[in-house]
Amino acid sequence: MTGGGYPSQRIATWLTVAVGSFAVFLIYAPIVWLGVMSVSERPLSGIPWPLGSVWYDELFRDTRKWLRPLELSLLIGVMVAACCVVSATLVGRALPRMKRRGGLLMVFLLPLFFPGIVTGGAFFMHYKALLGLKMGVWSLVLGHFVWAFPFALLAMLVVTARFDERLTEAASDLGASAWHRFWHIEAPLLKPGIVASGFFGFLLSFNELPRSIFLRSGEITLPLHLWAESSSHVSSVPLIYAMSTLITIASTVLTVIALRMLFFGRRASF
Amino acid sequence: MASGARAARSRRPVWPLPGFGPSFDTRGKGLFVWLPVSHWTVYGFTTVWVLGVLVPLVLLVLFSFLKTRGIQFIFEPTLRAYLDIFEYAGWPVILRSLRIAATVTIIELIIAFPFALWLAKGTRSDAVRLTFFTLLMVPFFLSPASRTIVWRVVLGRNGLVNSVLMSLGIIDEPVDWLLFSEPAVHFGFIGPYFPPMVWPIFLSISLIDDELLEASRDLGGHPRHTLRHIIIPLAIPGVVAGIVFTFVPMLGDTVVAHLIGGGNVLLLSSSIYDLITVMNYAAAAAMAAFVLALILILQLPLIITIRSIGGVNEIFASLRR
Repeated sequence: MTGGGYPSQRIATWLTVAVGSFAVFLIYAPIVWLGVMSVSERPLSGIPWPLGSVWYDELFRDTRKWLRPLELSLLIGVMVAACCVVSATLVGRALPRMKRRGGLLMVFLLPLFFPGIVTGGAFFMHYKALLGLKMGVWSLVLGHFVWAFPFALLAMLVVTARFDERLTEAASDLGASAWHRFWHIEAPLLKPGIVASGFFGFLLSFNELPRSIFLRSGEITLPLHLWAESSSHVSSVPLIYAMSTLITIASTVLTVIALRMLFFGRRASF
Repeated sequence: MASGARAARSRRPVWPLPGFGPSFDTRGKGLFVWLPVSHWTVYGFTTVWVLGVLVPLVLLVLFSFLKTRGIQFIFEPTLRAYLDIFEYAGWPVILRSLRIAATVTIIELIIAFPFALWLAKGTRSDAVRLTFFTLLMVPFFLSPASRTIVWRVVLGRNGLVNSVLMSLGIIDEPVDWLLFSEPAVHFGFIGPYFPPMVWPIFLSISLIDDELLEASRDLGGHPRHTLRHIIIPLAIPGVVAGIVFTFVPMLGDTVVAHLIGGGNVLLLSSSIYDLITVMNYAAAAAMAAFVLALILILQLPLIITIRSIGGVNEIFASLRR
């Protein structure tokens, strides 16, 4: 309906697209500029020249500081991804066929309505101050899982809500066992949802900061490490640029793969 | 294990999932097949979810009415914590957080609504739509700190903007208010909170049937009328959801206010953080409860609008289409 015959409307359309694109530009400009500054020799000067890979060399020369946080973040990310895949598959397969799906979905999506710092604080007070448990890797996994599960579930529901049950019924009529029906019919069709929920779980955990601040108890994840470094001394800031660039590139690649799997092949129905 | 499943089955002669009904013959397969499809798995998971996740979030409100001694709560109802937060953080921080979040939310809405409309119904190119689709989805999965930190060297005293403006001769001295100021915080919020506003509006508009729009046109309706009487009423749930998903996380944002606002623009999140570090848990809980109350008030219109279009079940149905 936009872009029709009225000239005023055409101007409005262009304005809309221009302003919206500017907002998208505001998202990506700092990311691109981060990459540019990471290959600058003097990134804090504000101007990228002269270029050089000194900070990347520096980053890989001294790995002591960030290797442990990286390992911990990878470990937690994989654990959260595994939890997300299993629970999103279990819940996502059954939910669209349940009577009370609307209410249940709201229950699962509820944590999205809480700011991260509130969730982190609430978990801290409940598990540490009230129940007296010691925080550690488990609490980080829990906090990240609560953040990631709604996204993983939504990704799974994109697939399962469209799943045609007649397929498994037909397979059953043709004599396929329950295991065959799941493994050879259902699982391949659900694969995009399974992969996407795993990737989303991993990425949301890997980059999570506000909940981790409260739930770490001495453990340092990569975002916490970068956060502490960026708030403290100036000398290590260029290193953060280099490392953030690498993380951003890896996260972007994983996200694009997951999105392509989830929505590829289906003509954009939106 | 298998006998347990069989016992459960005999108690429930009708298979719980109608779709999988008679075709799901579990004889001899026991728990393995029963577990993944049963809605009892969902209820089990929901119970764990409610106990482990929702209870701590609800108890927060209870904590805010208690006293703390060291790390322990004392079960003695008091309003002390609420008095504390006004002493400690004070009205300025609360009001400033609300004002900034509300302003940015309104700006986002003004930018995002026409853009979402164009993306959903305006553009005819699938390539354009998929590109923006991806561009708006990817930021959810990137680290907020990595995306924000570089603004410091762009907007700072010796930063890119100041250098360019000075070399062009537009200004003689570096401009200070580009960083560590309220306008800078507003500006820093606009990028990160654009996708959460666009997404719900985009989804609600794309669920509007094209035939409705065509019918309106065929009946001689001016596009302005179509917008006012068809698109906007049907997009209201998306708009409300967009406002919630933008306003709420912005109130709790830890990154932008810290990196772009510096210490000059304190927002609610830093107050909650400070209160927990000094172990005034009750006051921190009161602060969080205050944020929650705001969120609840904001969510009422969302719940009402979702009810009015037939509830979440309707959203499921449209997903399936």
